[in-house]
Amino acid sequence: MRRKEFIKRSTLTVGAGIVAPYILPSGRLFAKSGIEKAEHVVMVMFAGGVRQQESILGRYLEDSQGVSGVAGNIMPNLFNGNAPTKKIVYGQDIPGQTRGSDPIPRLLSDALANKGMTFNEVRAQSAGHYVGLNTLLTGSIGAAQGLKTRPSSPTIFEYLRKHRGFKATDCWFVGNGIGNSTPLLNASTNENYGLNFGANMFIPPVTFGGYGQNTLSNSKAYSNNELKPMYEMKNFLNNSFALENSRQTTIKNTDDERTRIKEFMRATYTKQSLGQIAMPPAAGSTDAFNVAYSAEILKEFKPKMLAVNISEVDGCHSNFTGYLRSLHRADHITAWLYDYIQTNIPEMKDNTVFIVAPECGRNLNPNPILDENDWMAFDHSDANSLRVWSLMVGKNVPKVSVGSEGNPIGRLTDLVPTIADIFGVYDDVMNSGYIDPMAMSQFLRV
Amino acid sequence: MRNFNTKHIIKVAIFNLLIINIYCTKEIHVQYQVNSAYIYESKAQKFKSKNEAEYISILYTCLYQKAIDPMELFQAQSVLYSIGDQNVAKEMLLSGYFNNPKIIIPSNAEMRKDIPAFITETYKRFYLRYPSEAEKVYFTNYIKNNPEVTVELIYTSFSTSDEYSFY
Repeated sequence: MRRKEFIKRSTLTVGAGIVAPYILPSGRLFAKSGIEKAEHVVMVMFAGGVRQQESILGRYLEDSQGVSGVAGNIMPNLFNGNAPTKKIVYGQDIPGQTRGSDPIPRLLSDALANKGMTFNEVRAQSAGHYVGLNTLLTGSIGAAQGLKTRPSSPTIFEYLRKHRGFKATDCWFVGNGIGNSTPLLNASTNENYGLNFGANMFIPPVTFGGYGQNTLSNSKAYSNNELKPMYEMKNFLNNSFALENSRQTTIKNTDDERTRIKEFMRATYTKQSLGQIAMPPAAGSTDAFNVAYSAEILKEFKPKMLAVNISEVDGCHSNFTGYLRSLHRADHITAWLYDYIQTNIPEMKDNTVFIVAPECGRNLNPNPILDENDWMAFDHSDANSLRVWSLMVGKNVPKVSVGSEGNPIGRLTDLVPTIADIFGVYDDVMNSGYIDPMAMSQFLRV
Repeated sequence: MRNFNTKHIIKVAIFNLLIINIYCTKEIHVQYQVNSAYIYESKAQKFKSKNEAEYISILYTCLYQKAIDPMELFQAQSVLYSIGDQNVAKEMLLSGYFNNPKIIIPSNAEMRKDIPAFITETYKRFYLRYPSEAEKVYFTNYIKNNPEVTVELIYTSFSTSDEYSFY
């Protein structure tokens, strides 16, 4: 009898030992789910407020400045349509010619719109930047979301880390500046998720810009073995202090992940000083810098989920010509990032879903501010600001164009459920209670 | 010429005596002293987290024994804010500080000469408190048993620990 009991208990213990490592942070043994559609998602938050008229509708100056006969597509890598033929000011400068008269050569042989799923007319849930960015990352409408605070609803990073079991280095948020609330977007304050499930984050213009170079590039390189005692002593001190989860002030990586991130940073500073960071051909903007460092992160960590924010089109508040140039450059750098994944990261090539969407649109009518070409600028506050588009290409994404100017289909809050669907944790995320009740996976809207 | 009589003189004398009695009292010497008090913090009292500027300026002063330059502080603060994992950011910042020869820290030989005293000083330096007996024993044994442990590594573990982020 005792022997039988011993064998029974031993078997259970061994069985539990085998199963235990696969218990997810959510408490479940395996991710409940459906089939994973792809192993990686890269989302370009094409932010700053983008009017439908100058982007997907390809109307250039026609629907903004009261000029006729000057329609055309200035985003040739993302959308179809011929470029404008008159009043070209959105390109690069050529000495002795009109400023911006030389459009940046198209990078992709075919527009992304032809490679995957395009939602031509999507409802944004906010006409503001921060709530719009929140919508893209949380799938909630963010009605009560304050500024200068972390999102109140869980981000897609937290959903994936909790329900899919991803590591911290599997999830990255790449912001474009430390102003406003951007550096708070890598994790929410939600008590069921929060910093413990947050994403890693860099703000490349700061982390790898002049300030970062001055402050961190002089850091010492320690080997893993050298750091081992430091981490042991630190873990002793932290256990002794026993900080509760509610008082955590940062996301956490494992000791090995931390060492890897530091090695990456040191290597990146070195590459930077040697001029070896791959950049889009027409660089020179903060957004381009941001996208270039996103590519470095993708190459090193091959993250499951990376979201990168760009925003220079927001100059449209006071400079319409600058807005057109930024839009044209944003198209260029987005295409460059897509192409970089296809050509430089074999582990992610053909295994990634690439998503692009603005966080909000811009007004139908201009404000009175005139720019160098006497063109009027646009803010974002009216119904036209709630009109946006989204693009998705990659593994298992059908080639389809959905909705039109008079037939809006889908909501910006759909993107989080869509990403959850891609990773096979759709039900977990939809049942969390924090997602916009009207949102659903774009795969289900088709 | 005024004619003073004895009665008047006595009245004036009594009046003067009363005034002297009222306004001239013996000076009492009061001496105030301060009772001995235990002014060091306890970890249970630390519940406010330091912001980036507080963390950096306190750390800098602790390691260099002088205040940080405002521009250097602003840059370091921005950089810390731009990195998601604050432990990564702080460890990078610190290893940069240790690369600066102007840093004022004890040598490894000094540490190993009197380990208990070093531990007490380190707790006071970073945590503003005395170590508990358990903490003292842990670090004494750890330093003795691990010859590769340096002052730099110990200071890094203290200044990037959770307790150092609170006050």
